Amino acid sequence: MPGKKPSFDLTRRSVIASATLIPVTALTATAQAPATALAPAQKKTLEAFVDRLAPKDELGPGAVECGAANYIDRQLAGYLAAEKETLTAGLAAVDSYARTAHGAPLAELSGEQRDAVLTAVENGSAADVPNARAFFNRVRRLTLEGMFGDPYYGGNTNFAGWDLIRYPGPRLAVAAEDQKMDKPPKPYRNSAYGSNHGH
Amino acid sequence: MAINLKPVDVAVVGLGAAGGVAVLPLARAGLRVAGIEAGTWMDPHKDFHPDEIYNNVRGMVTTGDKIRREAPTFRTDANQKAQRGGPSPMMNAVGGTSIHYHAQSWRLKPWDFKTVSEVKRRYSASHLPHGSTLEDWPLSYEEIEPFYDTVEYEIGVSGKAGNIRGVLDATGNVYEGPRQREYPMPPLRTTDYQENMKAAARSLGWKPFHSPAAINSQPRNGRGACGYHGYCDRGGCHLQAKNSTCFTTIPAALQTKRLTIFDRAQVTRIISDNMGKVAGVQYTREGKEYFQPAKAVLVGSYTYENVRLLLLSKSKPYPNGLGNNHGQVGKHYFGHWDAQAGAGVNALFPMDLNLWYGAILSQGVVVDEWADDSFDHSGLGFIGGASMTAYMEKHPIAAAAGQTFGQAPEWGSKWKTWIHENAGRTASAYIQANSFPYENTYLDLDPDARDPLGDPVIRVTSGPKENERSAALYAQDRMEQWFKAAGAVAVSKGNPVGPRLSTHTYGGTRMGDNPDTSVVDKWGFSHEAPNLGLLGGSVFGTSGARNPTLTIQALAWRTADRLVKAWKSIAV
Repeated sequence: MPGKKPSFDLTRRSVIASATLIPVTALTATAQAPATALAPAQKKTLEAFVDRLAPKDELGPGAVECGAANYIDRQLAGYLAAEKETLTAGLAAVDSYARTAHGAPLAELSGEQRDAVLTAVENGSAADVPNARAFFNRVRRLTLEGMFGDPYYGGNTNFAGWDLIRYPGPRLAVAAEDQKMDKPPKPYRNSAYGSNHGH
Repeated sequence: MAINLKPVDVAVVGLGAAGGVAVLPLARAGLRVAGIEAGTWMDPHKDFHPDEIYNNVRGMVTTGDKIRREAPTFRTDANQKAQRGGPSPMMNAVGGTSIHYHAQSWRLKPWDFKTVSEVKRRYSASHLPHGSTLEDWPLSYEEIEPFYDTVEYEIGVSGKAGNIRGVLDATGNVYEGPRQREYPMPPLRTTDYQENMKAAARSLGWKPFHSPAAINSQPRNGRGACGYHGYCDRGGCHLQAKNSTCFTTIPAALQTKRLTIFDRAQVTRIISDNMGKVAGVQYTREGKEYFQPAKAVLVGSYTYENVRLLLLSKSKPYPNGLGNNHGQVGKHYFGHWDAQAGAGVNALFPMDLNLWYGAILSQGVVVDEWADDSFDHSGLGFIGGASMTAYMEKHPIAAAAGQTFGQAPEWGSKWKTWIHENAGRTASAYIQANSFPYENTYLDLDPDARDPLGDPVIRVTSGPKENERSAALYAQDRMEQWFKAAGAVAVSKGNPVGPRLSTHTYGGTRMGDNPDTSVVDKWGFSHEAPNLGLLGGSVFGTSGARNPTLTIQALAWRTADRLVKAWKSIAV
């Protein structure tokens, strides 16, 4: 920066930024596992849910394989901690609806049965799921963030989300030929926060 | 008791796009300037990232802590109770919102400054929007032109002139007012997509041109050129190629050693003396209260906070708020009818567009045929229109979250197949309609909602407008035509319902000659408190069909220049 740059004058924001964005795991080989928020049964229900939003199929990995549930689990223990209660209550209500409507918790139902549960949640007809539509939309939105966001946050495993939509990855500088219509650039599979993420 | 600080010549409240420019002519003239800013410096190496979650999902560069605490309430008519409208995307930082803005840097049109007389001349008075409080600006395009020129060269704007002293060039915008010389830099790099959109526009008989942008298209003043990395929208520039005031005018002002920055300082009141002149500003910093005496005060804290500060600053000479003895503070407010107000248009193409990288609106192609008074409005039932920009840069989450144009469900295997093929084949257009002030649209203090200091927040009252909606719908049809001429197989249009809280808001301290219909004079100084100047969109009387920042900066420079030249009559 030209002129004065009071870089020593650490702001709250830059403290937050350096705290969250310079990962401890990047500095040590014996990486500490990142904090998560969900109990194993809750995680299982969440995976059964997001798996139907984007199933693994002939096109390749789905939401679970992309780490979308990992993203949600980690963010609920961090940036999205305020949403944990609503989200886990929603998951419990979905499981309870699955039991009533199909005789088993979500994770034990077939793909078709799970689709029926998700459809009922999406259109608000699933009995006793509080704010069902809002819950569905929120989980879908977080699934998209987990599939297509930077792997730094715990999702987009092996950059499978970016490969799915053929996003060629964040580059710090982009040449004219990288903006051509007929020749999309080769995928650059890298996190904005370095090569320790996404693999 | 407030701690008294050493007096300065000028206190500037807010070091964003407006205050960050005003400090430079003041400091260069040798005045001692205190720049008082609620945020602090951001570090391009630590605080800016090519990361959609950081920039676009979480707004780490767009919304400061202070604005979150004092987010205005919103309602569509005076009979409703206003509700908290969510944070407005204004940054508290040195550089403010110019850190993360799209940097499209427009001059308003001559028409924007004299809309009332032009409408009467070309059509009739009955064509003016019903219920509007429109009036001509107290200055003409010709009077502001030298300041546009100064700011374009000081901060650095890339573009192609369409009208130099009356000589037209259709590779620039032929609808712009005459400028004295070419832009300091050529436009940002073109792309296949933009060439495709330009060819389509020309096939319709239109004259497309590249966006004017406060982004370096080539190295300039020791900083590099744009890297087109695709995280310009709501992000800071890691290359410092975006000409935010924290990289341009503020460092230049610091070099004079006449500017002192007081960061993390929240101004709570502007203090006046018994004679009705302002005496300085009061602010809080880390729980302590300070008084900064000044011979003149320039307030550039964004439309909502400019109005709030005046209304909160009551005193004996100003029992209804500073400079509000005529009851005009908060009046003539309006938001911009743009894509955020529902005026956007989306398209699906049958080929990969490769829009991923770029510099958002600044690496764009614009059509101005349907803006302002570029076309005959006889029989249309509205005045104004909209500029339309087809642009580069899209992000993966937003691309996957986009609509499927009725061709696929929104989840499941079929959706996955659809986004695999089409996430890279959709494009959006940015539409910005000419917007005007109305009697039933205004700002005041909310009777209930307060910030943590106990001060009321701003209440926005802003309802539907027939004129602007008609203009936006008209422009959306033109945009659909443009996309289809470029090969789009499906187009969808938003529902222009009107602006809520926005980064494009205007009025509240309108500029005018008449104290009964405006708050500041043609120079930006209060009709009532002679040494109080207002900076920002809050002084605008019309929006234009384009982004406001360059006009805000030209006016900020002009107000500061006026203060320097008329120092004895204004400040002493």
